[in-house]
Amino acid sequence: MTSRCDATTRTMPGAAVIELTGEVDGTAADVLTAAYQAAVTGTDVGVVVLDFASVVYINSTGIALIVSILARARAERRKVVASGLSAHYREIFDITRLSDFIELFPDLDHAVSQLTGPAA
Amino acid sequence: MTSIAQPAPRRLDAFAVASEPGNERLAISRVAETASSAGISAGRLERLKTAVAEATMNAIEHGNKNQAEIPVDVEIIQTGDEITVAISDQGGAPTQDPAADTEEPDLVKKLAGAQRPRGWGLFLIRNMVDAMEVTIDGQRHTVWLTMRTSAPEGAEHDEQV
Repeated sequence: MTSRCDATTRTMPGAAVIELTGEVDGTAADVLTAAYQAAVTGTDVGVVVLDFASVVYINSTGIALIVSILARARAERRKVVASGLSAHYREIFDITRLSDFIELFPDLDHAVSQLTGPAA
Repeated sequence: MTSIAQPAPRRLDAFAVASEPGNERLAISRVAETASSAGISAGRLERLKTAVAEATMNAIEHGNKNQAEIPVDVEIIQTGDEITVAISDQGGAPTQDPAADTEEPDLVKKLAGAQRPRGWGLFLIRNMVDAMEVTIDGQRHTVWLTMRTSAPEGAEHDEQV
């Protein structure tokens, strides 16, 4: 099935940002996996930022994909943070306990400034 | 002695979607339109939409086994300040699938590889709505999702959007 999710990746010193757009469901598996791979390949990335500001839908299969990305990042000793989640999806991150392992920022600017410092 | 009459249930809408992956979006859209017209708050609507999505996905995938010609029936009923969405498939009583998740999803176990990453659907449904009930009538398997249109006084986090 065609993915309804797009991802763009960019890196900054020590961190990579994956900006997601559309719907994070089962069809997003290849997009999300490829984006993570692109984000961490060839760079010294300690933190991966998942930005959900342009995501309109996350279902249980999407949550499972995020769990898989988190598990892989932890195995590689990388930190995952998230930005731009709506209040509804922040609640879902809370009840699934994802927010115990993924620090949440209100938006990408806050996440980036926190990770790179005020001079960035 | 004074008796208080219970409000009569009123059917707001009924429709069916073909059992094809992705059609939960049709159910979400139509339930959202009807529930909004019935006055549900924005935060509660988002929770109901998530529950409807997960229940419809389960009905399509596990109940009707993705057989497009077997419909998933959706009925929306209002009783006073409660909205109930009934989602029915033709899967009958669930059989015990050896690959199915029988225990509560536990993120720590999932991260440790002791549970597979999937298995959040029923957990999300239970945590999103005020009440969930399952009935089985022959092959007809129905999940009933009930949501008040507004939060009880003192409830936290209910009006977030």
